[in-house]
Amino acid sequence: MTDPLALDPVLPPRERSALPFNDAALDHDERYRHFAEHVTGGGKVEATDWMPDEYRTQVLRFVEMHANSELMGVLPEREWIMRAPTLRRKLALTAKVQDEVGHAQLLYRVAEDLGKPREAMIQDLLDGKTKFHNVFHYPTKSWADIGIIAWLVDAAAIVAQQALRDSSYAPYARTMKKICWEESVHIMHGRDVVVTMATGTPAQRAAIQEALDRWWGPLMQMHGPRSDRAKDRDIHWRIKAKTSEELRQEFLGIYVPRIRELGLTLPDAPLALDPATGVWAYDEPDWNELRTVVTNHGPMSQERLDFRRANWAATQWVRDAILGSPRAAVA
Amino acid sequence: MTDFAAFEPLAIDFTGAGDGRVRALALLLLTMADDEFVIGFSDSEWTGIGPILEEDVAISSLAQDELGHAQALYGLLTDTVADGRDADAWAYDRPPEGYLHARLLDHHRGDWAATIARRYLYDTADSARLEAVASSSHRPLAELVAKIRREERYHLMHVQTWIERLADAGGESRARLLAALEAMGPDAGTVLAPLPGEPSLLRHGIIAEPFATMEARWRDGVGATFRRLGLPDLPPTSDPAHARSGHSDAFRALHAELTMVRRSEVGATW
Amino acid sequence: MTESTGGAPATPGVLEPWEVFRREKDGDPMRHGGSVMAPDATLALHYAREMFSRRQESVHLWVVRRGDIHDLADLDLLQPPLDRSFKKPGGYVMRDKLAAAREQSGQAKPKANKGTR
Repeated sequence: MTDPLALDPVLPPRERSALPFNDAALDHDERYRHFAEHVTGGGKVEATDWMPDEYRTQVLRFVEMHANSELMGVLPEREWIMRAPTLRRKLALTAKVQDEVGHAQLLYRVAEDLGKPREAMIQDLLDGKTKFHNVFHYPTKSWADIGIIAWLVDAAAIVAQQALRDSSYAPYARTMKKICWEESVHIMHGRDVVVTMATGTPAQRAAIQEALDRWWGPLMQMHGPRSDRAKDRDIHWRIKAKTSEELRQEFLGIYVPRIRELGLTLPDAPLALDPATGVWAYDEPDWNELRTVVTNHGPMSQERLDFRRANWAATQWVRDAILGSPRAAVA
Repeated sequence: MTDFAAFEPLAIDFTGAGDGRVRALALLLLTMADDEFVIGFSDSEWTGIGPILEEDVAISSLAQDELGHAQALYGLLTDTVADGRDADAWAYDRPPEGYLHARLLDHHRGDWAATIARRYLYDTADSARLEAVASSSHRPLAELVAKIRREERYHLMHVQTWIERLADAGGESRARLLAALEAMGPDAGTVLAPLPGEPSLLRHGIIAEPFATMEARWRDGVGATFRRLGLPDLPPTSDPAHARSGHSDAFRALHAELTMVRRSEVGATW
Repeated sequence: MTESTGGAPATPGVLEPWEVFRREKDGDPMRHGGSVMAPDATLALHYAREMFSRRQESVHLWVVRRGDIHDLADLDLLQPPLDRSFKKPGGYVMRDKLAAAREQSGQAKPKANKGTR
């Protein structure tokens, strides 16, 4: 992770809004106090505002991981673009993957305006120094996987992203609104693929069930282990508003009934809603697996990073070409 | 000129495609659709791995546009041949030798320079073809082409700016572009090689001018740009009689991949 | 008034942020959509089209180099402290005066006028 004190906002010190923490005449501790009051009270922060390093690095880490996940997330699906069985499915999947690249663009832009150049973020990702979400470390084995991922992985993601639309960091919040709007189409595409196969031939139905059985574990791990709301720095700074468990419960509440109405089963015997409490009980996810996977020891982690590295190196000449001589320009 | 029998691969069955007009029209539609399909397919491989994030999104849009054009053209073909096949059946259910795309598009997408070079050569040639079809006596085709031409304007703007940048950047960029143009140059004109049935197409007003005229206009345009950028002139088309047959191993591999899922459960709905 | 910094002058051949403004449909104002990285205006426009009009969601786009934007956020200028209610509808409260006038003239309060000429 980059040294937080080395982060210089890339934006010139334009006119800052006249909130108290932007007053350069105050000392650091006073500015920090005003800033904390502003943010914990629901106030918004823009890219040009003064921020304590703690907030800046916390947001940057959060957004950077999100951006990395979009960039790596294209890889599991992209190979199936070539194999899509109808023209419409091919167009839909190409458009979906294109959207993910677009999301990476939006998120790297947000992160870059916090002080870390895009090239540095991509390099850190390729060097294994920064992370990306667990679900993108697994293989896709069949067209059925494409349906399951587009429907349920995107659904789990949108549950988290909807909650981020009120993030204290306004550029990120605004980006989430655009992303949620685009993701809702992906979910419909995914659900359409799943429903079509679930009501198709026996082989198609079996393929969907098998894919679901394989993906359920990573899906349940996706929102992360339960955290203590009081100790969660992302919640303290209102970068995010909901805990992992709240997101997981929300996901289960919406999607378990929709999975079951297709006659599909879930590989989780205890999975059930307690009508009295409104809480879903479930088999405890394998948090060791999650830890192993997000530290780049998942089944496809190295292969995908290798692929990205090779691709990045192979296209460096293009970036150099359209920028004249970028190294000279920076110096 | 080759006769139909030598030209038509096994899987294309124009039974009931009665008189010269329908057959010639069907062949024209199929070549146009296959061209769009193959280049759209090939360029869609860049989705997710483009050289710059914003450009990744752009090239994917171009690829999707081509696939959309292919889908619409296969739709017209469906109506013209009327043998029960739908657009997906045309797109997917032929063996590799049954595809009639131009040999230019058999080249693998290669590196970014190869992709831009091929796109430039194809989009400019296609533009000349579309111009000749714009006032087609076959109304559905004329209407579709009017829409396609409007979409292609962006393609031409985009590839134009890229080929200029790659050429002007010098060094490795220019070298790669020159290598790509050298490899593809002899196949560039295959898009506009005369089709069997051309006399019929002209007689019925399906196309406004012969392919040779389209090609001449295209070569003038490309020649002017290349001279301005200091790029060598394109050579004449090699083996124009087989402009759309004898497909490469690269295409066969693409075909195997694109039909993989569909072949796994024939007749299933996806 | 504080100097507004317009940023560094354009350096050709450098990827820099271009702010994108878009009009969603005829009659709408231009609204800020986000930014794209591009080396010049031509590609900035192409990329703006990709990022903000793939779904035909815009009818007009502007791109502006971030460095060319001038801004003002000084509250002394934008939100000056003395009373300016005479410039707003809320500065004219007549309820009591109107009630007194009606009483004096013996007239009831007229019905709300919903008609238009």
